[in-house]
Amino acid sequence: MAYDEKSTNEGGAVLNQKTAVINKIIKRIGGFILAMLVLSVGVFYFARLAPGDPLQSFYGDAVESMNQAELDAARARLGLDGPIYLQYSKWISNACEGDFGLSLKYKMPALDVVSPLVGNTLILGGTAYILVFLLATLLALLCAMHEDTLFDRIVCKVGTAAYYIPPFWLGVVLVLIFSVNLQWLPSSGAYDIGKSGDISNRVRHMIMPLIVMILSHLWYYSYMIRNKLLDEVRKDYVLLAKSKGCTKSEIVFKHCFRNVAPTIVSIMAISIPHVLSGTYIAESVFNYPGIGALAVQSAKYHDYNLLMLVVLITGILVILSSIIAQTINEVIDPRMKSTEVSTWREEVEASLS
Amino acid sequence: MAGRSGSQFVVVGANYRVHTPVLKKPTFRQSLKGKPIISFIILSIIVLGCIFARHVYNHDPTGFYLQSLSQSPNSEFYFGTDSLGRDIYSMIWYGGRASIAIGLLSAAIITGIGVAYGCISGTASSRVDAVMMRATEIVNSIPALLLLLLLTSVMGTQNIVKISFAIGVTGWCALARIVRSEVRQIRGCEYVLAARCMGGSLPHIMRRHLIPNLVSIIMFVVVSSISSSMSMESTLSFLGLGLPVDVISWGSMLSLANKALLLNTWWVIIIPGLFLVTTLVCITNIAYFFRKETNKRETNL
Repeated sequence: MAYDEKSTNEGGAVLNQKTAVINKIIKRIGGFILAMLVLSVGVFYFARLAPGDPLQSFYGDAVESMNQAELDAARARLGLDGPIYLQYSKWISNACEGDFGLSLKYKMPALDVVSPLVGNTLILGGTAYILVFLLATLLALLCAMHEDTLFDRIVCKVGTAAYYIPPFWLGVVLVLIFSVNLQWLPSSGAYDIGKSGDISNRVRHMIMPLIVMILSHLWYYSYMIRNKLLDEVRKDYVLLAKSKGCTKSEIVFKHCFRNVAPTIVSIMAISIPHVLSGTYIAESVFNYPGIGALAVQSAKYHDYNLLMLVVLITGILVILSSIIAQTINEVIDPRMKSTEVSTWREEVEASLS
Repeated sequence: MAGRSGSQFVVVGANYRVHTPVLKKPTFRQSLKGKPIISFIILSIIVLGCIFARHVYNHDPTGFYLQSLSQSPNSEFYFGTDSLGRDIYSMIWYGGRASIAIGLLSAAIITGIGVAYGCISGTASSRVDAVMMRATEIVNSIPALLLLLLLTSVMGTQNIVKISFAIGVTGWCALARIVRSEVRQIRGCEYVLAARCMGGSLPHIMRRHLIPNLVSIIMFVVVSSISSSMSMESTLSFLGLGLPVDVISWGSMLSLANKALLLNTWWVIIIPGLFLVTTLVCITNIAYFFRKETNKRETNL
């Protein structure tokens, strides 16, 4: 009898937990949609405030020879007529069907311009992201183990200097050295013409953008992780582990690193916009065909439909990945609750600033 | 015994002298210890050179020397000339003004918005606070560069004020969050409660308790935002969305880098970049000096 009661209680608890998880997921998806809506409204209104005439960038000089009726027709075709909120509602209903409007510069549907480039950016950004955090964690572990030694100090000093080198300048200098003068590496593009399937060719094109991105982000994050590790090393359980006879590396890798791991995942989550910014710069410097270089181009030519799509894609990437990171965090560290998310965010920001 | 004690009366503390410990005045060298002197000296040389650019440069920085395009550094043009025939040595001193002005102006804007937003959010009710923080999170979820691209493309041709405004408006989120958490913390402190119990008004508490506590914490962020703004400006100018080529700044000088790559003229790229990086590193070094020294406990390892 008692046994039965216990089992039903457990069943209830499991059920409750399940509904709690589902509720949480629904809440997050709701938040995600809301954030995207706010983002799109903001960007849309903003883009319409712009001084440049989109018709001018679509038709070029032909605009001047058109009469009023033709102009109105052109505006209607491009979704530029009527008050802004009507334009927006038209845009959003089209967007739900996968039609994000025409790119004003390329005169193609914006989605068709963007979609082949997203993959390139994801490859570059993803590789850089993984490498940055692998190296940053390793460097941070080394620094924390050898705190205040010459090695640690040199890493910190060099890191500070490296962080403040503007990434675009670093990129240009690398091109100057390695492709203009030494001619070891190609200076631009994602692959040579007709070699899109050749992996080694692609890798050769990615080396320099990757170096730029890693050098401009590595120190920042390894410093953050290092500070977190140093906080951890000062806790009492380290003393206990030491008195048990654990070696230094055992303590750092087995105990401290495990406790810091959720923080690293959190840092990885909030770093995504930052790393994406880096991708944009690297892409523009090396003319790598990705959405970053495209964003710069479309900002230059007032191609707002395209720019908006890029902003939305970026927003989706960032918000999705932060949701994933939160979920991962809750799995690896049950102490982490959603209420604590804002707390660690502040902690991270305070430690990096 | 009794008779002797009368004559041998000792006044307690007759020889007492107020003990004044002699404070050794720290020598000049000692007082400089731990301060970022080298950075300060280099930074002041650069800043002074830019302010008194008129006396430093030897050519007209806005002039085009069409006889000598893309010349390497020589005795007449100390740092060479670029592909438009402008003297880089003169342009560096002259253009530094714009760069530094942009850095200072946008740091001021960042501080203004960040502190105001953070203070309001920190003192508001928890519901308003949550909404305000959510808003910064949404803004933060778009890369700062993309926001800047949007802003600058909307603004049309750039000038110094416009670009500082754009950089300032996009860069205040982190500062606002730090100020907010700090305000929340200070608000809950006992001494603030005590001050309120004694009838201290809000402006009084702000002036006497809130601001002095905040200044030490945000100083680092404020100073380093100068250098990040300068770096942002040069990035934008390089991408062709910042200052136009005829408004000289370190960033707009570097916007000729792509052309310089084709001509293989290293001095056009390296020299302005080195000036920029040196300035940024010096500013950051000074910013670190303002930073609160925490985490001084001995390690357990």
